[in-house]
Amino acid sequence: MLSMQNISKIYRTDVVQTHALRDFSLEVKEGEFVAVMGPSGSGKTTFLNIAGLLESFDTGIYMLDGEDVSNLNDDGRSHIRNERIGFIFQSFNLIPDLNVFDNVDVPLRYRGLKSAERSKRIQAALETVGLASRMKHIPAQLSGGQQQRVAIARALAGEPRILFADEPTGNLDSLMARQVLDLLEGINSSGTTIVMVTHDPELARRAHRSVHVLDGQVMDLKAVPDSGSKRENGVKA
Amino acid sequence: MFLYNLRLALLSLRRDPVLTALMIGAVAIGIGMSTTTLAVYHTMSGNPISWKGDQLYAVQMDNWGPSQPYNEPDEPPPQVTYRDGQALMKAAKAKDQNLSFTTSFVLQSDKPDVKPDLVQARATYTSFFTMFDVPFEYGGGWSKQADQDAQQVVVLSNAYNEKLFGGTNSVGKEVVLNNRRFQVVGVMKPWNPMPKFFDAQDDQFGEPEDLFVPLNLIGPMQLHNNGNNSCWGPPANNSFQGHLDSECVWLQFWAELPTQADRDDYHAFLDAYVQEQKKLGRFPRPVHNELHDVPDWLAYNHVVSKDSEALVGLSFMFLAVCMLNTIGLILAKFLRRSGEIGLRRAVGASKTALFYQYLVETSVIGISGGILGLVLGWAGLIGVRHLIEDSDHLARLDWTMVGISLLIALVSSMLAGLYPAWRVVRIPPAIYLKVQ
Amino acid sequence: MEIRPILSAMLRNKTGAILIALQIALTLAIVCNAMFIIHDRTSKMARDTGMDVNDIFVMTMAAYKPDYNADSAVHANLDLLRSIPGVVDATYSQSVPLSGGGWSDGATTTPDEHPKSTVDMGVYHMDEHALNTLGVKLIEGRDFTHEEISYIDGDKYTTPKLAIVTKAFGEKLWPGQDALGKTFYEGTSGLTVIGVVDTMEGTWSHWEGFERTVIFPTVLESEYMRYLVRALPGQRDEVMKVAEQKLGAAHTGNFVRSIHSLEYYRKSETSNDRAMTVMLSLVTALILAITALGIVGLASFSVRQRTRQIGTRRALGARRIDIVRYFITENWLITTMGVVLGSVMTVALNFWLVQLYDLPHIAWYYIPVGILCLWALGLLAVLGPALKAAAIPPAIATRNV
Repeated sequence: MLSMQNISKIYRTDVVQTHALRDFSLEVKEGEFVAVMGPSGSGKTTFLNIAGLLESFDTGIYMLDGEDVSNLNDDGRSHIRNERIGFIFQSFNLIPDLNVFDNVDVPLRYRGLKSAERSKRIQAALETVGLASRMKHIPAQLSGGQQQRVAIARALAGEPRILFADEPTGNLDSLMARQVLDLLEGINSSGTTIVMVTHDPELARRAHRSVHVLDGQVMDLKAVPDSGSKRENGVKA
Repeated sequence: MFLYNLRLALLSLRRDPVLTALMIGAVAIGIGMSTTTLAVYHTMSGNPISWKGDQLYAVQMDNWGPSQPYNEPDEPPPQVTYRDGQALMKAAKAKDQNLSFTTSFVLQSDKPDVKPDLVQARATYTSFFTMFDVPFEYGGGWSKQADQDAQQVVVLSNAYNEKLFGGTNSVGKEVVLNNRRFQVVGVMKPWNPMPKFFDAQDDQFGEPEDLFVPLNLIGPMQLHNNGNNSCWGPPANNSFQGHLDSECVWLQFWAELPTQADRDDYHAFLDAYVQEQKKLGRFPRPVHNELHDVPDWLAYNHVVSKDSEALVGLSFMFLAVCMLNTIGLILAKFLRRSGEIGLRRAVGASKTALFYQYLVETSVIGISGGILGLVLGWAGLIGVRHLIEDSDHLARLDWTMVGISLLIALVSSMLAGLYPAWRVVRIPPAIYLKVQ
Repeated sequence: MEIRPILSAMLRNKTGAILIALQIALTLAIVCNAMFIIHDRTSKMARDTGMDVNDIFVMTMAAYKPDYNADSAVHANLDLLRSIPGVVDATYSQSVPLSGGGWSDGATTTPDEHPKSTVDMGVYHMDEHALNTLGVKLIEGRDFTHEEISYIDGDKYTTPKLAIVTKAFGEKLWPGQDALGKTFYEGTSGLTVIGVVDTMEGTWSHWEGFERTVIFPTVLESEYMRYLVRALPGQRDEVMKVAEQKLGAAHTGNFVRSIHSLEYYRKSETSNDRAMTVMLSLVTALILAITALGIVGLASFSVRQRTRQIGTRRALGARRIDIVRYFITENWLITTMGVVLGSVMTVALNFWLVQLYDLPHIAWYYIPVGILCLWALGLLAVLGPALKAAAIPPAIATRNV
């Protein structure tokens, strides 16, 4: 599903060059749930930006869903992000002026789907996260956990092949965090690949395996026992 | 606290220099434009003799022909005939009265090499100087006797005395007008009522004439009227006297009537006079006499140009656009600082205190915009002077106007600042801390 | 494209949108009406007067010697003027064309001492050189002859028996008929039309009857007399100097009171129109600039404020062009609300101006043209901020505050 080989990314300013990633290589198989861990400044976020096609890189080869995306232009990357990738951000990134329905609608709009199809998907995604009744609310009227569930619905509605989650529970208390994690596991078990960036070992433990990043390099590949059986809320994806 | 707020305001304005320039610039241009147009309007609509303008009345009598009024609908002429004017002077029923018209003289120097000059003059009675409070530098008006005897005496304008006698006291000296010797009896101080209310028919914003002579010289010197002349029906005979006896209107008649009773009496007198004249076969139309005091008279004669009125209207709409612009920018700026507002509220700033802080900031914008706007307005008036001929007196900024425009600047920018400040302060602080 | 979500986002931040829309509305109203007045004035100023305005100058002579004789002075002055090299022709004229001051009278088709209604006309008193001096085109009939000019004392004026009239005057007095040979009346005095000229403006260019002009074959002799002189093309200014010097030196008992080109009189008479045109153009230019800058300012704010949101949209698959399109659509919606309101304001403002000025109503096409201009203005103004927004990298979305 995701294959990175010897990816390097250098940030240049007038005075310094920072190797954010160096010779970074990673394989993620279809249907996997991988946690990428590391302390701040280790290059996790750069990895996420590159893997999610939010940023370009300097050298290396990146295959995503069987396609070489190393040399795509901006529009090509937008297209792939829109059709095959789902994002869940630490600070939810809901659009404050839009209600729940319209927030989930955002990526679908850019895909040019018919209105009936969009509303069917939005409905379904919101039901999945248990917020179908909050469609007309604006983000400020929701709790943090609810906001993140809207964000997950937004990612799901696009039926992505791979989901990138960036500290998805970083801004949530433990109860809400558990709900969100349960959701992610459900999604994963229905076949969507998930790559989650986190610094929290508790969280990483729920993934199939963890990858540790330090100084822009993968340190260690360690298999984690399959934890797919730990389904508590019976969430269906 | 004020100084603290002022410092905060200046800090905030310096943080966004382009935006600050845009806001101040918009206010300044709006104020500048309205100051320019309003100053012209202000001069045009001024009351040049405000202290007694409500006691001076322009007299209208409807001597016009039977079939058509002078002006639709049924307006009497704005000037009087020679014979009626002289009759009213003789009757002397008002506290004081004046008859005058504008003419010109050829002034010759005693020195043969100096070219003669055609000078604008007003033929009038000596009451002109007292009724209209004309200020004198030297001497004064002529005597009533000089009126009666049509003596060759002259009052000079300040500028013309400067030109002829280098500004020295010329009372007693002689000038030659139309080949006759006139004695100078008075020299005015600079006097330029704006608008020229006493003759609103011609050149309402021009300067008064340079020479003033007794009106009764009209017969002996066959003085011609230089102003507007309107007639109905042909003169009885084709001669100078025939013109004087005709129904042509070309003189301005004013009566000084201090009280309502005076006005009622004078109106009754005019009506009786017209009834008397009807017996002689004159005044074929229904009796219709009118008295207008100075402000009324200027309005009646449409002294304020329509262009000026239109420009004032448009420039205030323009100011509204500039203000909307500034409101939008201030609001956006204030809302962007919601985090700071939330913080200040959290550390205990009251709504009032914050409101006050933002109002100080908008006032700084308003006052700087206002001052800059005044400068622009002043520059605009210089522009107007170049654009419109003979508008030097029209396009000027007096202290009233300076005050008015500063007031407009301050009030409009306070209003512009009031709304954003109120909006920002009204929202509960928690919102700011929650949403980005 | 996505109008509904843009609209609902806008409704959540109503104030900014309303402020811009109001600005646009007022701008449309001001610009349309200003353009309308400007067009009215410029077409008035550019109007064909029917005269050779550029080559004509005007001399005013005033008597100062006791032995002045008006009759000999007028003949001597005119002979002298016509003999100056470079002079095409010269005529006496009681008033100055296009100057704003002159002689008017009412005409009727039948003799009537107290007519109920008259056709008002501007009257020129001139001699038989008038048409040639003014450069006016005679389309019917003939010019005055020397014998037909009456030289009379200005105080003893009587209506002459002949007149040359403009086509416009003839059409007003005798609609649909040929004016030539007809008689019109000033009170009970009849005048026969011996010639009809094409266009020839009177002295009041602001008067609705500016085209209804007649020439009377009369020279009114007095202490002040005016002469119109036409010079060969391009020689006016030199001829003026010569004329001033020669007439000043002639011993006719009068002196040159003033000498100006006809252009000078026309310019000073139209100076208000010019000033109005300049002021209104300035108002128009400034208001468009301020409105455009206002849009730029508010759009930039909104871009800065929505940086994260734009980054998120990009992360979720929006292309750069989608972001540009978002801002353009949003601005177009606001502008459109503004111009809808502005159209109503334009008509309202026009009603006020029509009432004030007695103008015809604004032509309908000013409004759609104005709307197109404001749409274009909005588009141009928002383009910069929109491009800036499109340049926001999608990686902003993973940056945490």
